[in-house]
Amino acid sequence: MRASPSEGLLRRLTGGDATALAEFYDLYAGLVNGLALRILRNTAEAEDVVQEVFVQVWRQAERYDPTRGSAEAWLCTIARTRALDRLRRRAARREESADVAPASSAAPKTEEALAVRKALATLSADQRQALELAYYDGLTQTEIAERLGAPLGTIKTRIRTAMIRLRDVLGPAS
Amino acid sequence: MSDEALLELCPLAALGALDGADLSAFAAESARNTTLRGELEAFERVVGQIGLASEPVAPAPVVRERVVSVARGASSGGTVPSSSDSGARPSSLRTAATWLSLAAALGIALGGLAWRGQRDEARREAARAKAEAFTLTALNRDLQGRLDATQRRLESAEGFRALVAHPSTRIAGLAGLPAAPGARGRVVWNSERREAVLFAAGLPPAPAGKAYEAWVIAGGAPVAAGLFGVADEGGAALHTLPRLDDVARAKTFAVTLEPQAGVKAPTGPMVLAGPAI
Repeated sequence: MRASPSEGLLRRLTGGDATALAEFYDLYAGLVNGLALRILRNTAEAEDVVQEVFVQVWRQAERYDPTRGSAEAWLCTIARTRALDRLRRRAARREESADVAPASSAAPKTEEALAVRKALATLSADQRQALELAYYDGLTQTEIAERLGAPLGTIKTRIRTAMIRLRDVLGPAS
Repeated sequence: MSDEALLELCPLAALGALDGADLSAFAAESARNTTLRGELEAFERVVGQIGLASEPVAPAPVVRERVVSVARGASSGGTVPSSSDSGARPSSLRTAATWLSLAAALGIALGGLAWRGQRDEARREAARAKAEAFTLTALNRDLQGRLDATQRRLESAEGFRALVAHPSTRIAGLAGLPAAPGARGRVVWNSERREAVLFAAGLPPAPAGKAYEAWVIAGGAPVAAGLFGVADEGGAALHTLPRLDDVARAKTFAVTLEPQAGVKAPTGPMVLAGPAI
């Protein structure tokens, strides 16, 4: 896997370099906000997630393990976890969010991001729909089956097939 | 659950989409099965990558100010949020350190073995803690999922009661066709509310790779109204149809046997059908 500028920045963050955080933020705040907005569909909540994610990165940069994926993917994992936590808390309070259509500000800049988009485009519509309900809505397999009116076994197969396809296309070397 | 079946759950576990018995089995086994954890980590890597497909959206400038101020506050307070001590040292110390380097190397060599042991133990402890955290998180999600499922069943029951109580609600009888002569069914439906619930009995379990699909026919082409399965015993099924415009002017309800992913137009044998009266 090619070393990205973010990995150098993370090393500086581990050393307590505050300027590295600003550089890291400038590189990836759009990515984190875009993902949080896609999950939460609420601008204010998404920006809260952005703040939480970068503060967590500042405090726990040493937890990044390059053998387990790119720094960007690690960042997305943190952002998704925090956004879904908020989504579930909102659901528990039965709050509705005023839907905000995510407005793109820029195309993804990394080769990895383009490869992911290309890989997702190879999935069937049914596979992508089930995968997105799990990824962006945080639904469980049973909830997805109920939402789509499909048998549970069908949903499990769709998601498993999609994930295996993504793993095979993206691979550790992407 | 077999090892193969558990490995098949890894993609769903990585997404956090497991629930029920699958989740319980996976959580119990993942704490002690290194093969399973390796496979799970491979799919967790994929999950991390999926987020990269999102369209970047710039947050408000004030968010950057807040983030940077946290870092500046930590640095100015002398608190370095990392265990690393690799920052630059004064040059005088570097000079002094030159003649000490030999002695230091000896100390490092002696301490190295002990340090490695501590490091390995710390890594094992971290792995154990991670597995336990995964289990607890999974069980918490499972409980929350069961609570949500109960809530949904209650809401569904209340919705059905309201449907039945509505003065415009009608009941259509569905007869078993030659592909399933012992089957029978009823559709409780309401054209004003565009709601319909299908009850079926006597249907044989759908073969592997197949599922039953409901259809609403309102004069034009049949409109797909959701897939469902049946219990192994008795062939009973309860299926709430999605709110379709065609329900408002339905003329016929029908059920066919189709590929389990569903189809947009019926292709398989019709097992149940009846007029929407």
